[in-house]
Amino acid sequence: MRRNLDCNGIDHLIARREFLWGSAAGAIGLGTLTSPLNAARLQQQQKRVLQIYLQGGVSQLESWDPKPGTQYGGPFQAIPTSVPGIHISELLPHTASRMHLLSLVRSINSKIGDHRQGMLFMEKGRRAGDYPYFGSVVSKYLAPTDAELPGYIHISKRGIVDSTAAFLGARHAELKLLGDQAPANLVSPKSIDEPADEARQRLRVHFDRRFSQQRSRALTDVYNSSFEQAEKLMKRKAMFEGTVSEQDLDRYGRHDFGRHCILARDLLENGATCVKVTHHGYDTHAENFNFHLEQLGEFDKTFSMLLDDIHDRGMLDSTLVIVYSEMGRTPKINTKYGRDHWGTAWSVAMGGCGIQPAAVIGKTNDEGTEVVEREVDGGHLFHTYLSALGLDSTTDHDVAGKSIPIGDPAAAPIEELLA
Amino acid sequence: MNSNATIDPVQTHLIGEFKHSRPLTTLRVDPASRFVAAGAQDLDVHLWDLDDGTLRTLSGHQSWVRSIDFSGDSKQLYTACWGGVVNIWDLTQDDPSIIRSISAHQGAARWVRVSPDGTRLATCGNDLLVKLWNIETGEQELELKGHERHVYGVDFHPDGEHLVSQDLMGVILIWDLKTGEQQRKVDAGMMTGYDKKFAADMGGARDMQFNPCGSRWASAGITKVVNSFAGIQDPIIVVFDWETGEATRQLRAAENFKGVAWAVRFHPQGFLVGGGADKSGKGELWFYNDGSDEAFHTFKMKSAARGVDLVGEDRLAVAHADGQVRLYQMTAEATEPEEATEVES
Repeated sequence: MRRNLDCNGIDHLIARREFLWGSAAGAIGLGTLTSPLNAARLQQQQKRVLQIYLQGGVSQLESWDPKPGTQYGGPFQAIPTSVPGIHISELLPHTASRMHLLSLVRSINSKIGDHRQGMLFMEKGRRAGDYPYFGSVVSKYLAPTDAELPGYIHISKRGIVDSTAAFLGARHAELKLLGDQAPANLVSPKSIDEPADEARQRLRVHFDRRFSQQRSRALTDVYNSSFEQAEKLMKRKAMFEGTVSEQDLDRYGRHDFGRHCILARDLLENGATCVKVTHHGYDTHAENFNFHLEQLGEFDKTFSMLLDDIHDRGMLDSTLVIVYSEMGRTPKINTKYGRDHWGTAWSVAMGGCGIQPAAVIGKTNDEGTEVVEREVDGGHLFHTYLSALGLDSTTDHDVAGKSIPIGDPAAAPIEELLA
Repeated sequence: MNSNATIDPVQTHLIGEFKHSRPLTTLRVDPASRFVAAGAQDLDVHLWDLDDGTLRTLSGHQSWVRSIDFSGDSKQLYTACWGGVVNIWDLTQDDPSIIRSISAHQGAARWVRVSPDGTRLATCGNDLLVKLWNIETGEQELELKGHERHVYGVDFHPDGEHLVSQDLMGVILIWDLKTGEQQRKVDAGMMTGYDKKFAADMGGARDMQFNPCGSRWASAGITKVVNSFAGIQDPIIVVFDWETGEATRQLRAAENFKGVAWAVRFHPQGFLVGGGADKSGKGELWFYNDGSDEAFHTFKMKSAARGVDLVGEDRLAVAHADGQVRLYQMTAEATEPEEATEVES
């Protein structure tokens, strides 16, 4: 069995806290970078990514590509948006009024109707192979070397910690935060003072050096990266202890997704490079319409508030915003009022950094059963995201002297979507 | 048909089918038991004459119809749709027209019921409101606030002075229509469930009905949520006592039936009829006596039931997910079975 060298779970990261204690006294508290001036400075310095992952496969017919009144259209209406001619589902009224900040791709044919494989294709831009997730690639090429936060942070209430970095190394692996609470073990035990902690550090480094002389360096790199990430988090512990304002809770919603998006905003504003927030609950094999009412009702306003804040604080031009799933849902409605897995004709939304706003790419037929114009897949989207960030997705990763194409050479960016 | 025979649910059998091309969502039989009106996964109301099988299609909604009621004299039809609109139809014409269209709710209008005196409509919807409307003028008479989640069902008490409404979370509110105030709150928490994996609630009344004297009412829905996103939960019909508000009975289906109870009816002879949809796509009718919460008879159907109503005392009309209204006779089959009536739309 191969060891998971990218193991980067937060528990793992912090577990050996006895070896490490970053001084919380030097922590930069939440809010110190929230002024417009600092936001502007960040904007100039760094491009960022916000991924909103609607886990389970949001229905394109109840979101970005409604077909009201048709055989498979479901009971919901389409509503006009802030962009003349673009209509989206009535379940997204807040997002509709911000459509001028976003664009849609309505012609995805991933040919995958499976959660895991669909997610991997959307994250890696490849159907198979040990390639890094988009967030890890962003961390590798866009996160400053002196970044004060891990380059790829994923906020979710559950799920396994994926091995996201592949050959890019543990430093660029996803750091998963289980909700908006501070990760466990950020505080050093009381019995260990600063001198003792420094002594532990020296001892650890010494052992690591000896170990790495005899073994694969990758093994010690993983541990060193874990310690580095833990140290960053411990120094920024105050971020998780800040009180969320009543005003923010009123705007974003007093639910997990609301709190997660507030944290995402704060992380991005404080220097995080890629933040992914997962909103669960879209695998609607039964009661698709009632559940989309509930889930998109929660998503719509919260996402809109987050988009507003990113925009109003001058960060949207430097922040790529992506709303995506691992697949769509079948046009055909089953006997449980559900829609099943569907990779044949579905949609994503995106906006911000490098993306032409108010565009609609591609088209499905009248009943939404197939793509009839500008078919794309996860490979095209992967290229497009990187291109929007100013990265040349057609070049190679340089990994220990080996060249590995960053994006799938068989795909290309959706040029007409790029600003 | 053998309408003079003794009613015996154990003898229930299929006697007729009315076909439509789209899955049906609900149905209602008129008080004279001549017409059956069904909603479907389209924008129309489908009105069959049970005597001759004639179909009339009523167009005018912009979304699926999810609840239907008839006036006591069968001259008007009331329909509520996912778009929040309630339409009042004139059935005295060969080609029924809309007398009045009411924008009743923001979001779906989930339910519509006519008052016992035939002058008012009660509706509820996703705007968390229960509303009372004057049928003659179309004006709103009352707006009842109190639910905190989508309101799934509403019905008049037979005294005409009270309403019962039930929401997603199993909160039942009883309203005094003289004062417009919430009079009581009844807990139907067994009819809701939180799916931890998907972080979402499921529940609500999928059908409600009072018994004729108003001493009890029954609500159909779900319980014991396991994986609601895959339709794995148990159907349930809960009977409540009007005086105490207590849930006096919790009627179940067989253990292996996982899905939703979409219908409940009090039969004049004292038994209860329920109907539902299994996750497999098949349906069942359940018959309950007062003595037990287990069905004394279960009638299996090849397609999910999404609405059930009595046709007289001896028949049941069922709206099926396969697009058909089927008629079932609750008496012994005649010696020489009659051919099923088949009418294509």
